[in-house]
Amino acid sequence: MSAVPGLKEDCEELLGAFQQADTVRFERFAELWRERRFHTIFYGRMRALERNKITKKTLDVAQQYFFPPYSFQIRVGALYLLYGLYNAQLCQPKQKIRIALKHWPEIQKFQLDLLDAQHYDAVYIFRRLRLARAFHFTAMPKLLTYRTKKKIEKNYFKEEFKDPSNRVNSLITNDVLEELMNIHDHYQKMKCVISADKSQPDKALSLIKDDFVVNLKDITLEHQEWQQNRMKLLQNAKVAPETEDKKKEETLLKSEGSERANALARIKYKSYSAVVEVSRSRRHRQVQLESSESGPSCGKSPGRSKKASRTPQPARRSSSEVRGEMQVAEETVTQHIGMPIIIEEDSEE
Amino acid sequence: QESHATGKRPDNPTDLIEEGELLLTLNIFYPVIFQKHKDHKPYQTVLVLGSQKLTELRDSISCVSDLQIGGEFSSQPDQAPEHISKDLYKSAFFYFEGIFYNDKRYPECRDLSRTIIEWSESHDRGYENLQSVKMEDYSFNDLSLKIGFPYLYCHQGNCEHIIIITDIRLIHHDDCLDRNLYPLLVKKHWLCTRKCFVCKMYTARWVTNRDSLAPEDPCFFCDVCFRMLHYDAEGNKLGEFLAYPYVDPGIFN
Repeated sequence: MSAVPGLKEDCEELLGAFQQADTVRFERFAELWRERRFHTIFYGRMRALERNKITKKTLDVAQQYFFPPYSFQIRVGALYLLYGLYNAQLCQPKQKIRIALKHWPEIQKFQLDLLDAQHYDAVYIFRRLRLARAFHFTAMPKLLTYRTKKKIEKNYFKEEFKDPSNRVNSLITNDVLEELMNIHDHYQKMKCVISADKSQPDKALSLIKDDFVVNLKDITLEHQEWQQNRMKLLQNAKVAPETEDKKKEETLLKSEGSERANALARIKYKSYSAVVEVSRSRRHRQVQLESSESGPSCGKSPGRSKKASRTPQPARRSSSEVRGEMQVAEETVTQHIGMPIIIEEDSEE
Repeated sequence: QESHATGKRPDNPTDLIEEGELLLTLNIFYPVIFQKHKDHKPYQTVLVLGSQKLTELRDSISCVSDLQIGGEFSSQPDQAPEHISKDLYKSAFFYFEGIFYNDKRYPECRDLSRTIIEWSESHDRGYENLQSVKMEDYSFNDLSLKIGFPYLYCHQGNCEHIIIITDIRLIHHDDCLDRNLYPLLVKKHWLCTRKCFVCKMYTARWVTNRDSLAPEDPCFFCDVCFRMLHYDAEGNKLGEFLAYPYVDPGIFN
């Protein structure tokens, strides 16, 4: 289905405003909805067939925000948005919201979370939708249509709406830590059993750090905190770029990022500029440093001029290019390091 | 999809569709007769219930090749037989996921898929076990299907239709809940009907080849113009030609 122009942007704008409001109350969402007169999204003189199509597409766009990996607040916002759109639509009988089979466990879990957190307005809204029979229970999320697409539209996630990617957390969960602890204890016990002194393992058997599980847990927690702080800084930086403090935070963020980039660049430069002299047996295949920048000298010609020499030297142009790049890198975050290219010397020795 | 049957309820309560019934949306593509259809194949969209047998779908598919009347009738135009191909050649099969579902309800039905199965078994062609079973024994709930994957419906020996399942969902309160109306046609591609060459008004019913009286080959005529041009008042054949009854693809519009 071809996208409705501007629809995704409008939804994201509304959800973004809701996220800024930093609340999950329906009253706040309703205010934002009324401010924008969002119900007019369905206006425009259309015949019934087109109206059905557009409504279907609108509901489809909105329901995407209802599932992970979007953050909790965005998902509540999506629920309110679906409620608003479903009731504001002009189709008769109403177009339904398609929910795929695989999403239902997530939705039920979400509902339980809402109940636990006592967000009764959200629960009520969901219940109202269920009672109104607003859902189609489908096997697959997208309804198929058959038109040759010029290009497949990639589904991209708006970064700010996403939950911070907690890959570390999903890898090192509580269960994993618990199991590690158990295995570690078991291991220690086994060591004791086979040692001479039954109360503690032999010195020769101490091959690992004993408290590594605790350390792992601490490191994970630290990472999580760092990530949360960073997200907060990012959000604040985006919201009020005029403030003096925010500027500092921005440069702090940027410099944090560019510091790391510079450190990386420095390491790479060191490793790639130091070209190893090859052993005598392979002296016909000297390594030469070439920048992969565009330029007519790249490729064959430096190889030719260095035929006779045994000690490799970086081709003059390329090294200065590389150094020049380094300076540029200090000012901006992006940098580009030349990769060494091994030139095949001509066969004569 | 909007349809005339939305929200309908049956008169007889035993015909009411129960909760939990599955609703499948199928696109059945017409066989490519016209070259212009090659890129955007026309299709009809049918809603079918999970509990319905495959034979119910087969009976609901309307294809022009079913109505063909075989034979050359220039010498006896009044005796074009009553039988249409649908009555003569009753065999058909569906192909889903490696299994051929053959219509075996009538004694005239043959296993059209046997040729294919023998072909695939003759050499190691990389197709796993292809099976052949009876269409009337299976309902859609018994099948395992892929959404969006092309399957096949073949009838009349060589008339092949691609079938694609676009959606499977649970039946909903607002759907048509009268079981008798399923399989339900919700969308149909409209085909241009070919008009008589002479009067340009009526749909063509005859087609002639090697016709000395016609300006082009083949040439299409409605019944009246055909007789007026090719036969005299006594019904004698005038000129040389071959005439075949013609069924227009747009007959189902």
